[in-house]
Amino acid sequence: MRIKRKEKEAVSRRKYKATAENLIIDSVVWILLILILIITAYPFYYIVVASFSEGYDFMRGGVYFFPRKFTLFNYQALLSNEKWIRAFGVSTARTLLGTLLTTVITCLVSFTFSRPDLAFGKFYRFLVVFSMYVSGGIIPYYITLRNLHIVNTFWVYIFPAMLNLYFIMVGINFFSSIPTSLIESAKLDGASDLGAFFRIALPLSTPFIATLALFTAVNQWNAWLDSAYYVNSEGLRTIAYRMMTAINQTRGQQSNAGGDIVATATTMTTQASAMVTSMLPIMCVYPFLQKYFVQGIMIGAVKE
Amino acid sequence: MAADKTSKPDKGKGTKLLKKLRKQWQLQLVALGALVLLFLFCYMPLFGIVIAFKDYTVNMGFAGIFTSKWVGFKWFEQLFTYYQFKDIFRNTLVLSLLKLIFTFICPIILALLLNEMRVSGFKRVVQTVSYLPNFISWVLVYTIAMAFLSTDKGIINEVLINHGWIKSAIPFLSEPKFFYGVAVFFSVWKNSGYWAIIFLAAISGIDSQLYEAAEIDGASRLKRLWYITLPGIKSSVVTVLILSIGGLLGGGMGGSNFEQAYLFGNTVNYTTSEILQTYAFKTGLSQGRFAYATAVDLFQSVISVCLVVTANLVARKTTGEGLF
Repeated sequence: MRIKRKEKEAVSRRKYKATAENLIIDSVVWILLILILIITAYPFYYIVVASFSEGYDFMRGGVYFFPRKFTLFNYQALLSNEKWIRAFGVSTARTLLGTLLTTVITCLVSFTFSRPDLAFGKFYRFLVVFSMYVSGGIIPYYITLRNLHIVNTFWVYIFPAMLNLYFIMVGINFFSSIPTSLIESAKLDGASDLGAFFRIALPLSTPFIATLALFTAVNQWNAWLDSAYYVNSEGLRTIAYRMMTAINQTRGQQSNAGGDIVATATTMTTQASAMVTSMLPIMCVYPFLQKYFVQGIMIGAVKE
Repeated sequence: MAADKTSKPDKGKGTKLLKKLRKQWQLQLVALGALVLLFLFCYMPLFGIVIAFKDYTVNMGFAGIFTSKWVGFKWFEQLFTYYQFKDIFRNTLVLSLLKLIFTFICPIILALLLNEMRVSGFKRVVQTVSYLPNFISWVLVYTIAMAFLSTDKGIINEVLINHGWIKSAIPFLSEPKFFYGVAVFFSVWKNSGYWAIIFLAAISGIDSQLYEAAEIDGASRLKRLWYITLPGIKSSVVTVLILSIGGLLGGGMGGSNFEQAYLFGNTVNYTTSEILQTYAFKTGLSQGRFAYATAVDLFQSVISVCLVVTANLVARKTTGEGLF
């Protein structure tokens, strides 16, 4: 169905004529896309500018494209704040461990559930689908977590996320597309079921694994709700939670009519530096995973 | 599962099954592990729903779910007579529907625009940048919203005032009447690029001979868009529509209705920002009214099911395809 884009582009380029219609459409397309580019990219750029700006000076306004008073103070302030450092540690730990466990387990389970000869396979798959659509809601969920004694521990970030139901369904779809004969031939060569998974299925599933890992990592890194409500020890707070409290502080000052301008001035630019720092890991990883996850998303979303 | 493994309704069949189980013991072991996780984190919470009809309090523990007193529809009556109930109910519906419509249409438009862009380098830049927001958390989206829209340091207000177009700052983030617009805008902002990927891939799958034939027949570019591209992506469009209908009250394709309403909502704009989910969350986890909050949540699920069934009917009537 796909991979004809290059061909198509070549065709359209060859046939291009500067007719009135083409000119009008092209200019509309250019204008709209440039507008979209600005609306999406500029906020990120602006935050970067703010993060390198001197707080009081930034508050005077008029800083749009370059820091008027360049400073690294915001980053220094951030990196000398133990709470933030600790939060970075917690977020890094949960992202690394969580991504590893979720990816391995979700992959393994979806491979298992995708085997056509699996005894009770239909029943297993039904259990997954059922729990995708029916859930107990937040309070029963919280009571369960408390009952399992993982509330207020680091594991509350890891264990509940280990099975990603949506990706199990995607994975079942994906692994079913691997020819059974491939798996069978590996087993004839003496490989066990899991041996066949690691030797045959896994190397073929890079797009699926990359997508799953990227999404899990992003979710783990961005999570703040569990840190706000399932944990009350300050040492377990995540970076996104710290961002949240920083915002709430600023909000509080706003509603105090005027408020403490001095504090606001520094929080605004420090927040920007925290934001840049917290986006950095994702920005670094995703260009490399990009080509895989476009494929990966397609596995999940497009019926052919 | 253990019961299933040992049960032998028919001896011949049973031994065959046992043999099969022994042969695929590794797979069954993985399945067993998965079942344990499913039970702990998906099925155990399901039992808890009954506390919506019970006099359950925070300190009762898990056993309290079963031992606490039944109170019938007490919590639901309390919810329906709550003085803000009408607002909360309206917001839940209106926000979900608005987001469903806009977060569905905008990615299609974006994909069409990208497809018509002839400079492939620029196209790639726009595409890459446009799904960047999908990877940042709602917390960061709100920080960006504040940097641009707040009254005292928001860049938009600053520019408007400096040019003399407005006299005093517009309270985008606190005035109730702006909430729907702001919420929809940021949902679209965050998610359009991501969903556009899917539509773009569908467009690139359309047979190029169709375009050539149409061109030879003298079809204009707009006509080709209308008669070839749009019908060509119809099946992906329907698939995505159905996916997003499934998560309608969750915010459709805009992702988390809840997180957004929770972060963008405040004490000033609560008349338009409070939805059932945030209300359940606040009464439950912040105020500790567990039974009441579960009732709110359950009510939300019931509405959600009704909406999904209705939306599915509409989808089936108009496009011929449905979720079920």
